[in-house]
Amino acid sequence: MLPIDAAAHSSRWRRRHPVDKAVLGLGLTVLAISLPPWPGAALVLVTALAVLLGPAGVPGRRLWRAYRVPLGFCVTGALTLLVRVGGPGGFVSWAGDGPLRAGELLLRTSAASLGVLLFAFTTPMSDLLPRLVRAGVPAPLVDVALVTYRMSFLLLDSVRRVREAQAARLGHTTRAATWRSLGGLGATAFVRSFDRAARLQTGLAGRGYDGTLRVLVPEARVSARFTAASVALLATLVALTFVLERPLS
Amino acid sequence: MHIAEGFLPPVHAVAWGVASAPFVVHGARSLIREVREHPESTLLMGASGAFTFVLSALKLPSVTGSCSHPTGTGLGAILFRPPVMAVLGTITLLFQALLLAHGGLTTLGANVFSMAIVGPWAGYGVYRLLRRFDVPLMVAVFFGAFVADLSTYCVTSVQLALAFPDPGSGFWGALGKFGSIFAVTQIPLAVSEGLLTVLVMRMLVQSSKGELTRLGVLVTSVAGRRTAQPADAEAVAR
Repeated sequence: MLPIDAAAHSSRWRRRHPVDKAVLGLGLTVLAISLPPWPGAALVLVTALAVLLGPAGVPGRRLWRAYRVPLGFCVTGALTLLVRVGGPGGFVSWAGDGPLRAGELLLRTSAASLGVLLFAFTTPMSDLLPRLVRAGVPAPLVDVALVTYRMSFLLLDSVRRVREAQAARLGHTTRAATWRSLGGLGATAFVRSFDRAARLQTGLAGRGYDGTLRVLVPEARVSARFTAASVALLATLVALTFVLERPLS
Repeated sequence: MHIAEGFLPPVHAVAWGVASAPFVVHGARSLIREVREHPESTLLMGASGAFTFVLSALKLPSVTGSCSHPTGTGLGAILFRPPVMAVLGTITLLFQALLLAHGGLTTLGANVFSMAIVGPWAGYGVYRLLRRFDVPLMVAVFFGAFVADLSTYCVTSVQLALAFPDPGSGFWGALGKFGSIFAVTQIPLAVSEGLLTVLVMRMLVQSSKGELTRLGVLVTSVAGRRTAQPADAEAVAR
């Protein structure tokens, strides 16, 4: 299982309905990209961090390991805003408003990422996917996504073990050997995925498979109190942004 | 490379979502039709999605000495066709956003457009064109994967340039900026992905002719000589 999903399964909010967490987490993300970066995205960032480390109980170390991935992309992308092409300063020169634009972009992306991470760190995929049918997503699509999700872990595990076996047989000692091993790894993943699908099909056929995958979904109800509190928090952030925007600009 | 969460302004995020929607809906409709006619296809499609997800997680040695990940769009399009890849790619990108924090939900439309639509269609188009002119399979596979990878990054550059035009030279200056950054890293990576795809396909031709025939990659006369044995590829790989 991947670290974020593993954390979601042991989250304090695991039993909460995905809608509760979507309103809060994805609501924060929407605010992060729609409010002015200063002070809007900054307020969202602080709030998301406080909720993640506080009530949601996500361990700081795990959060950092997941957060540094999008953060790395944001920093790399923001660096390009520091320079301008053409103009009186030469072919490439420093952009006058570059640091401001880069800073705003960094604020926006880091706040938006934390909103999605709040949802991802508290909602296992296995809770979310089956409920998508009730949200109007066609059942066959959800079934394909469910099989993809469950088979991904098995395949990732297979790939890890094949890689270890290749390394033990000196399969990564030279560049040529590494390429050969990688080719083998990709081919094995393909063959294993199709082999597993065939065996799964045989097993399900023996259990009267009619084309729909029925899975048990943990019972949960949308909490009106939690959702109302989330909406109130989001509304407070919007109001605070507009109140503070002028004095802080 | 995925565009990170919140990187695009809201209008751009929505516009790329709208641009991607017809392709994804078309792919989803054909997938649903296929699943309704052949229920067992659910498992095959799921397996294909898992394969695409795992392929994008493989670490690829880059020419510059660092490591990167293949997009997997070229191989996916050759094996499963672009309309199916639009759906499988969307599912994969959704999982990457929620399980790996790669990409994002607000940038899903933009990432789907570059990685699950343009990449597969461009790669598959080149592959089919070369095959029509009787170019050997492995050469066509190499160029299919190369073009799929490169076109994905070209579209990503366009998306970023539209969102962040250069203050001095506008869209074209920004496109030059993002394009030159990607060109340094992505042309070697596109070559690497092309090579990897050839190696994977060569092993699949040796070991999984049955599956490749079922997917329409190989013609029946070639595949008829030998039945696929899943263990063969594993033995070769190990």
